[in-house]
Amino acid sequence: MKKVLLLTILSFSFCSAQNYYFYVAAESDDTVSLIKFDGNQAEELERIPVGMMKTEIEGPHGLTVDPTGEYWYLSLAHGNPYGSLLKYSTKTNKLVDKTLLGLFPASMQISELTGLLYCVNFNLHGEMKPSSVSVVDPESMTEIKKIQTGIMPHGSRLSPSGRHQYSVAMMSGELFEIDALTLEVNRVLSLDKKKMNHQGMMHHSIIKPTWVMPHPNGKKLYIAGNGSNEIIEVDINYWSITNRIDTGKGPYNVDVSPNGKYLIATLKGEGKTAIWELGKKRKSLISNTSSVSHGVVISPDSKYAFVSVEGKGGEPGLVDVIDIKKSKIVSSVNIGKQAGGIAFWKLEQ
Amino acid sequence: MKKLLFILFALASFNLNSQELIVISNLEGLNMKVGETFAPTSYAETLNGEKTLCQAVIYYNKKGVFSTAKAITVNRSEGTIRANEPGTHEIVALCIGQEGQRLSRTFPVQVDYPKAKEINIKLSSLVVYESSFIPLEFEIVDEMGFSRKNEFLQLSSNSNNIEIDAFNNVKAVSPGKAVLEASFDGISSSVEIDVLSNPIEKLELKASLDVARTGDVVKYDALAYDNQGNKLVGLPFTYTFYGKAIDKSDNASGLIMNDGRFVAEVIGDYMITVSLGTKSTSRPLKVVGRGIEREVVKVGQGIVSDKHTSDFWVFEGVDGRDYAVTGTWGADGTSFFWDVTDPGNIKKIDSVKVDARTVNDVKVSKDGRISVISREGASDRKNGIIILDVTNPFDVKILSEYTKNLTGGVHNVFIDNNHVYALSGSQRYYVINIEDPKNPVEVGMFEIGKEGQSIHDVWIEDGIAYSSNWRDGVYLVDVGNGIAGGSPSNPVAFANYDYASGAHHATFPFKSKSTGKFYTVLGDEIFPDGVDENNPNITAGFLHFVDFSDLDNPVEVAKYELPGQGSHNYWIEDDILYVAMYGGGVRIVDISGELLGDLYRQGREIGYIMTGSPNGYIPNATMSWGAQLYKGHVFYSDWNTGLGSSKVSELKPDNSKANQYINRTPIID
Repeated sequence: MKKVLLLTILSFSFCSAQNYYFYVAAESDDTVSLIKFDGNQAEELERIPVGMMKTEIEGPHGLTVDPTGEYWYLSLAHGNPYGSLLKYSTKTNKLVDKTLLGLFPASMQISELTGLLYCVNFNLHGEMKPSSVSVVDPESMTEIKKIQTGIMPHGSRLSPSGRHQYSVAMMSGELFEIDALTLEVNRVLSLDKKKMNHQGMMHHSIIKPTWVMPHPNGKKLYIAGNGSNEIIEVDINYWSITNRIDTGKGPYNVDVSPNGKYLIATLKGEGKTAIWELGKKRKSLISNTSSVSHGVVISPDSKYAFVSVEGKGGEPGLVDVIDIKKSKIVSSVNIGKQAGGIAFWKLEQ
Repeated sequence: MKKLLFILFALASFNLNSQELIVISNLEGLNMKVGETFAPTSYAETLNGEKTLCQAVIYYNKKGVFSTAKAITVNRSEGTIRANEPGTHEIVALCIGQEGQRLSRTFPVQVDYPKAKEINIKLSSLVVYESSFIPLEFEIVDEMGFSRKNEFLQLSSNSNNIEIDAFNNVKAVSPGKAVLEASFDGISSSVEIDVLSNPIEKLELKASLDVARTGDVVKYDALAYDNQGNKLVGLPFTYTFYGKAIDKSDNASGLIMNDGRFVAEVIGDYMITVSLGTKSTSRPLKVVGRGIEREVVKVGQGIVSDKHTSDFWVFEGVDGRDYAVTGTWGADGTSFFWDVTDPGNIKKIDSVKVDARTVNDVKVSKDGRISVISREGASDRKNGIIILDVTNPFDVKILSEYTKNLTGGVHNVFIDNNHVYALSGSQRYYVINIEDPKNPVEVGMFEIGKEGQSIHDVWIEDGIAYSSNWRDGVYLVDVGNGIAGGSPSNPVAFANYDYASGAHHATFPFKSKSTGKFYTVLGDEIFPDGVDENNPNITAGFLHFVDFSDLDNPVEVAKYELPGQGSHNYWIEDDILYVAMYGGGVRIVDISGELLGDLYRQGREIGYIMTGSPNGYIPNATMSWGAQLYKGHVFYSDWNTGLGSSKVSELKPDNSKANQYINRTPIID
């Protein structure tokens, strides 16, 4: 009987042992780290140097993995002057191809409908003028179109169907919906409560939205109001704001768990991560291991949140692994300086 | 039934495996004319020929969306493509299946050249003499005004006093009038050539030197006389040379120009020949070594062993002692201050740490009171610059932080006459008044105003800002000199030079003491194989010497290229170049006299310093960043080592044994 029980326990443990793999960019070290989390411990498997100019910081910023898991894509923020998009093989972590994008390309995602990659050109160079979303065919690595949006666009995420791409313009305080097929702006929503009108001067948002994330049910969008310290909920059908959720200082990136239950935001200004159980008012706050919390991605099984934390100056960047149900950091791993863009790759038994 | 199953399988496979289908389009085999539009239609087809519709088809030019990719453009709202330039272009048809999944195919689209309208034939020489090849230029202009110069024309002539070979070289064989006809695309054109008999009875060759050093430019002048003893002018002479190197394993080499200037690269005996047709004369030239090699002795080091070092600046402090500041790269925002009064005993005396990962550039005002350091990788992403009080370099104080318009990161700065010139996001530079260093104020900005404008560095001398703009080359901007009415608040560009590599990274203005000529020395920065932060790297690129004596017509005349190593930052003083060549160390190069050709191959190197150290951040890995001559010492920073100083001695290197066979050994001093 004991033997049977032991075997049952062992086989259960064996079945439930899962490894989570994800990539994290270190913006001030020009490296990308491949991390494995085995349910207990996060481990840096490889640190991949990226970029072409040794004596220039090229700033790896945004990361995404294509739906097949065969390639990962990285935006290099700095260039001459344009940044670029790099394509790497997940098998070898070697560069496959690259193409130029706009000024300071940042976050991006690939549509499962069109297979195209949509990357915002953040243009963090101090110019208060509208920037764009670059649409790239990742197969030929050709930039097909630059679609003009708002000032300092960030947070490129696709609807679950892949038909619409969403981004927010940080300085003009707008939400943009792009039709992933026609490559045109479909709808724009101003997020500020009241527009400041400075007689001919460009509107500067108080909200300063930095991220937008669709709910897996395709009905709501969650937007990080980095300047107004709130998460803004938008109803996609009605294209209107339905809720404003107080956060803490400087919400930056947002993710919603694939099971639709949890909303998680990094609070850059506090070095914390906030977790909400959607539909309930309760919020959990977790202090990250270092300061300047940046990106967050939730595992496909909705169990863990992987949070990149920049650190300051010479401090290493790091990734905190948070057990969502327990609202607790279960592991942490150091990577290169200024950890930022983070993308989930695969879950293996 | 089998067929039905196959179709079902094929349709399903559009969603699961797009490789089972192919895009069919009327783009296939498409030929267009310039200016034409075409409405493509496409669908997917199974291998069995079954048609399936696409939910949407996205067409795009495979070259992308930049202005360089306008040869064929896509109008999505109209559903058309337009041919703008002749050639073979690629259009991709991307079919989105009914339930998603992509399928794409690239179609070459041939855009024909419009029909040729005229052939222009130009004689590059005013006169043609017998027994000489005729310099001809051809240009085809088509009906839409496009011109081409590289087409192979059908040349013919009924005249028997010219000959045409298989490669379209045309030779004048005897005096008389000849008609050369050129045909292409059904049209033809002709030119009458008057072949003259060679009038030269006597030909002499004068030279500015008969014994020269490698690198010396020798000027040759041909004097021709007719049979009456009259001097002939305006003849299209050809200058050539051959030679024999002293070193049997080397070959004589050099550069000879159409105007008769010659520079030798290798010690040896040369023969310079001037000719016109069959008339020629030669003059020997003996070439000896420059005799400029000197022992270069390492004097002192200020090791930075825990991080990469970036730029540096050596300056005289208000107390009359000598100091240096160094930045750090990819680290923690630290700058170090050093006492270098005794270059053999460099002492770290203070440091400043700011919110940044890279302090790429550091500069100090001429009066030794203010230092400006650049910031990249600040945690608040505001970057900008930090202004420091360095009146007491043992206790450096932060006076102010300035970030307006500089949030994209500042890579390089310069201080001139109470103004800071700070690069912004690699696109432009801002001019910031620091008369009150605690309250800096932006007063001006300069950008070249082109699509994709990009800048890497700015350097100010005599009220002229020299900005290094990658593919757009150097821009000379009046910021107070007066040459173009500019000022710090009103920068006015007045000259520009760019070159093919597009890698223009740094500029140093150089007024040659020995010749009075004015050059800009333009440096490349190239990493052909990308980066490896923890190991030595492959670098490339070189220094371009551009004669800017005529501001409207700058001419690139020479280069300094160290084989296998690329250039970074450099300094010029008293006709000597001190250049950091990354893994090749700091090279000290004699750039006196007229400059022409390949300066490295001309044996102009005085000496070199390998700047790595066993105690460096990466031990023994020389990665020279920059050099500065200061009070007789060559100071340098090394990416892997920190700060160092060397002295160029009066002694020649002892190469009597190990190097006795190297042809650099001077023959005369």
